[in-house]
Amino acid sequence: MTATLTAARSFPRSFDSLEDIFAFTSEFFGRHGVDRDLLPTVDLVLEELFTNMVKYSPDGAPTIRLEMGPAPDGVEVTLTDYDVDLFDVTEAPDADINLPIEARKPGKLGLHLVRRLVDSLQYEYSTERRESRTTFRKTGARRPA
Amino acid sequence: MLAMNFGGDGEVVISGRLDASQCAAALAFLEKVNGTVSLDCRGLEYISSAGLGVLLKTQKRLAGGGGKLRLTGVNRHLEDIFRYSGFDQIFEIEPAP
Repeated sequence: MTATLTAARSFPRSFDSLEDIFAFTSEFFGRHGVDRDLLPTVDLVLEELFTNMVKYSPDGAPTIRLEMGPAPDGVEVTLTDYDVDLFDVTEAPDADINLPIEARKPGKLGLHLVRRLVDSLQYEYSTERRESRTTFRKTGARRPA
Repeated sequence: MLAMNFGGDGEVVISGRLDASQCAAALAFLEKVNGTVSLDCRGLEYISSAGLGVLLKTQKRLAGGGGKLRLTGVNRHLEDIFRYSGFDQIFEIEPAP
C-alpha cells in the first residue's frame, strides 16, 4: 500500500456509522479513480466486518479505525479494532447454504460472503495491545465464478 | 437510502441500499404483504447479509401460508450475492435484462 495515498478515519462503534463509511469509500473511489463496479462489494465487505465488530465487541474502544489505499486494479482496506478479544474472521465457519428453507435462519452469512468476495483476507491480533487488524484486498482481477 | 413502494401490478418496488441500518424499515414494509409477491429489484443497488436476513424472514413467513417472494430485475452483483448465499435455491430469481 502506498502510504501517501492512504486515507484513514475512525468511526464510532455504532451501526449508525454505516452511512458515513459508505460516503468515505465512495469519496475514495472517486478521488483515486478506482473502478466503481467494485464499490458495492467493498461496501458489503466493510459493512460485514464493521458490524461484526459492533455486535461482538460492544465493550471495545469507542471508535474503529478504517484505512483505505489503492492496490493494482482495486483497493486494500484495513480495519483496526482496539481493546477487543481475539476473533479470527478467517477461521469462522461457513454457513450451510444448502439447507432447505425451513431449516435456514437469518444470520451467519456475513463472513461466508466476505471470504468469497475478496482477493485476500488477513487477520492479525496483538495480545499485548488487545488490538485486531483485519485487512482485505479487492481488485477487478477477482470476479465471481 | 432505501425506498419501498407498491407498483401498479401489486408488486413491491425496492430501490437504493438495503444495509443493516435499513432492515427494520424494510421488514416492516414487507410484513404488509401476503401470498405470492414479486419484489422488483431493478433499483436495488446494494444488499448486505442483514438485508438477506429480511428477505429470508419474509420468504419463510410467506411460505408458511403457501405463498412466496419472487425477486425480479436482479442485477449481476446482486445475483452473485444471492448465489453465494444459496438464495438461488430458495427464491425464484429473474435477472435484469
